[in-house]
Amino acid sequence: MLQTLGQVTSQYVIEAHNLSVYYGSFRAVKEVTLPIEHQKVTAIIGPSGCGKRTVIRDFNRMNELVPTARTEGQVLFMGQNIYSPEVDPVEVRRRVGMVFQKPNPFPKSIYENVAWGARINGFKEGLGQPSMHEWVEECLKKAALWDEVKDKLSQSGLSLSGGQQQRLCIARAIAIKPEIILMDEPASALDPLATLKIEELMRELVEEYTIIIVTHNMQQAARVSDFTAFFSMDEDRAGMLVEYGHTNQIFTNPSDPRTEGYITGRFG
Amino acid sequence: MATISYRGTFDRQMQQLLDQVLVLGSMVEQSVLDSLDALKRRDPATARRIYEADIKVNEKRYAIESGCITLIATQQPMARDVRFLAAILEIITELERIGDYAKGISKITLLLSEEVIDPALIYELQQMATLGLDMLRRALDAFVAGDSTTAREIPMEDSKVDQLYNQIYHMLMEQMTTDVTTVDRANHIMWAAHNLERMADRVTNICERIVYVATGEMKELDTNEGNVAGLN
Amino acid sequence: MNALKAQTSTPKTEFSPRFAATLEGRHRTGVVWSVVFLSSTIIGIVFLTLLIYTILNQSSGYVAIQNKVNPATLSVNGVALEDLNHNDLVRLLQGNVSKGLFRQLEREKPMVERTRDEVYDLILEDVLQPQVVGTWSLMESLLNGAVIREDVARQYPQAELSFITWLKPNFISSPQSSDPLKAGVRTAILGSLWTIIVTFVVAFPLGVGAAIYLEEYAANNWLNRALQTNINNLAGVPSIIYGMLGLALFVRGLEPLTSGKLFGFTDPTTANGRTILSAGFTLALLVLPLIIINGQEAIRAISNSLRQGSYGLGATKWQTVWHHVLPNAIPGILTGTILAISRAIGETAPLVVVGAATFITMDPNGPFSKFTTLPIQIYQWTARPQDEFRNLAAAAILVLLLLLLSLNAVAILFRNRYSRSRSVE
Repeated sequence: MLQTLGQVTSQYVIEAHNLSVYYGSFRAVKEVTLPIEHQKVTAIIGPSGCGKRTVIRDFNRMNELVPTARTEGQVLFMGQNIYSPEVDPVEVRRRVGMVFQKPNPFPKSIYENVAWGARINGFKEGLGQPSMHEWVEECLKKAALWDEVKDKLSQSGLSLSGGQQQRLCIARAIAIKPEIILMDEPASALDPLATLKIEELMRELVEEYTIIIVTHNMQQAARVSDFTAFFSMDEDRAGMLVEYGHTNQIFTNPSDPRTEGYITGRFG
Repeated sequence: MATISYRGTFDRQMQQLLDQVLVLGSMVEQSVLDSLDALKRRDPATARRIYEADIKVNEKRYAIESGCITLIATQQPMARDVRFLAAILEIITELERIGDYAKGISKITLLLSEEVIDPALIYELQQMATLGLDMLRRALDAFVAGDSTTAREIPMEDSKVDQLYNQIYHMLMEQMTTDVTTVDRANHIMWAAHNLERMADRVTNICERIVYVATGEMKELDTNEGNVAGLN
Repeated sequence: MNALKAQTSTPKTEFSPRFAATLEGRHRTGVVWSVVFLSSTIIGIVFLTLLIYTILNQSSGYVAIQNKVNPATLSVNGVALEDLNHNDLVRLLQGNVSKGLFRQLEREKPMVERTRDEVYDLILEDVLQPQVVGTWSLMESLLNGAVIREDVARQYPQAELSFITWLKPNFISSPQSSDPLKAGVRTAILGSLWTIIVTFVVAFPLGVGAAIYLEEYAANNWLNRALQTNINNLAGVPSIIYGMLGLALFVRGLEPLTSGKLFGFTDPTTANGRTILSAGFTLALLVLPLIIINGQEAIRAISNSLRQGSYGLGATKWQTVWHHVLPNAIPGILTGTILAISRAIGETAPLVVVGAATFITMDPNGPFSKFTTLPIQIYQWTARPQDEFRNLAAAAILVLLLLLLSLNAVAILFRNRYSRSRSVE
């Protein structure tokens, strides 16, 4: 059982310690140590194939769904290693939520999309607690979607536009009250306006949640994040963390020449 | 190791801007030289020409500035690139000021065209100009090369320029105290010297920007001022 | 079609390719292939049309019926047979049938309780005893009507020639009989329905459960791969082998279960394992691989992003399967199941082996009854020498085809409705 801490005691809500991920015998991620600060947006950037997605999927143990995946090292969630045998991955995934690259709302009604996750995790109505209706409304409001869908909650989630679908996925991720929200290139399938809405939403959500976002779009990382981690590949094509720091510093004066090479588009 | 760049267009555009900055540098350099020459020969026609040529200097400066803003808006420069473009914006301002100093000296030439000026003073002024322009030339070379080491050394020579300025100051003070009628003339010459001294200060600012592009640090460079005699 | 004139600019390099104008040839090839495909479609349609023509041809036509006893000889006091009243008809009946038969008729239902028309029907059936002396197909009847009438008038002067459509409502509601004029397919239809219900109840849960296990839970090791290969192969096994398996396993091996002895059903007519239950189990085995494979396809078609979305919300594997995978796979599963069931309805060989009775007149009243099915009925009728049974077979085939077509239509409707509501792009 993950202990339910009332508050985060250290400034790092989740940390990877010497994290390595293998697919069969191929090492995809090499010894990454990455502490994530509480209630900040941390962006992970880097070229394709350098393990960014693998790393964040390790933060909520989603890599276990791939049969050949193996993780070495630790991921400390509020100080507790989520890979220790007594921790249930299902509970980890409730507390570390995920939004995917291609919006994937369930083929259910908009209301059900938000309510289902809450319900299966044991949502209880009662004194002092919101009703399911109120909770769905609140989550949709937090995801900046309520005004657009409040009159059509019974329509299928698939009838929305791409940007709306993604905000619906954010709403259903919020509905299970996670502490961290992982976002795997959340706006890469969306048009520029929808992308900007999602970015604004992230800045609002970070008041309450910790957000970790993987993105290919450097300008997005620069716009939206407080911290940026730059990943690259070594000779064995294993992903590794090259530089990690405040976004302002990474994008105006990075320390590592590899970081500078990547963000200015000049390598050598 | 050879550099692979995926910013070919951007690189070319920045190179073009850099070339224009050098053009601007040589324009103001020429203006300063000409203005001192005009003063020495007390040549009002040349002076007037320089005065009016300042318009071109300003146009050039605005053109480069506009080019910088366009590149920033369209190419999303990061890290060294954005520092570089920010540095250009500052440097062209400094160069334009130097151009204004040349214009000021030309104006003084026009005002003193009928007067007699002590050749020794002219000589000192020319020394100041030579030193200052040498500093400017080397600073612009360092900017092109991204050479922050040289850029740190150049401001040290500002002290020599200050020394020359002090000499001129004392000479003029002596003149003014002995012969009251020379005060007006002396003031103007003081002003010319002041412009040349400020020119060296501008070059120091340019060197600070060069260091900023290379290191990302923004700080004042040591100009060896403590060693200057005459400052009590 | 003129090829565009090539521009006469010099090529940039020495090795620039030359594109010859092949447009006409390419279009021609396309036309040839589309003609080939069209022909194959037409050939298929032609054969289909022939099939339907043959069936319809046999299912209606002229029939010459001759009464054994001339109704004219049965008038009482000068009143013709059709106009006689109840009492007269009863006396006429009594006087013209054997004592044994009359007693049997009395026992079944006393004469006083029968209506006048019922007694009249009895006389028609048992006294007059109409017999079929000739049948003609539909085309013959339409084209050579006059010739037929002459022939009949010559050969069978007593016979009555009438145009009969063998597929009439009576056909469906009458039980089997050895008299072609009275035979119907009711027993066969009921037998088919009972069998199919047993098949569905057994095969559907087993098949869908196996599909879920294989797709969602089974690890990818050699054992499961071997299992998968075996299931795929079973789908191709000839159906008669299933019949033999059913005979050995269900009819003989599990006889106490399938004959109902275990449950205390003792029907003197059965007293063995050749019951609907055996038939249903056998057909269930037959369609099980189909349902499993189809179920696996339907489950595999569910995109992985749906499962990922569910897991990402902290759902367990079972919750994901039950709430997301299955509901979205059900339309595909059901469509495939309906198609498998339609195949099962048409199976003849395995049921012959399992022991469908070829002649029973009593409707099946439970899973432990003897039975016959529609395809077996058709088979049995076509094996009889008399022509009129071929007409009956044709009519039964029409019934079977209608049944299959409606099942398929249900499957298609189902699939369309669900695929529309599930994926709104």
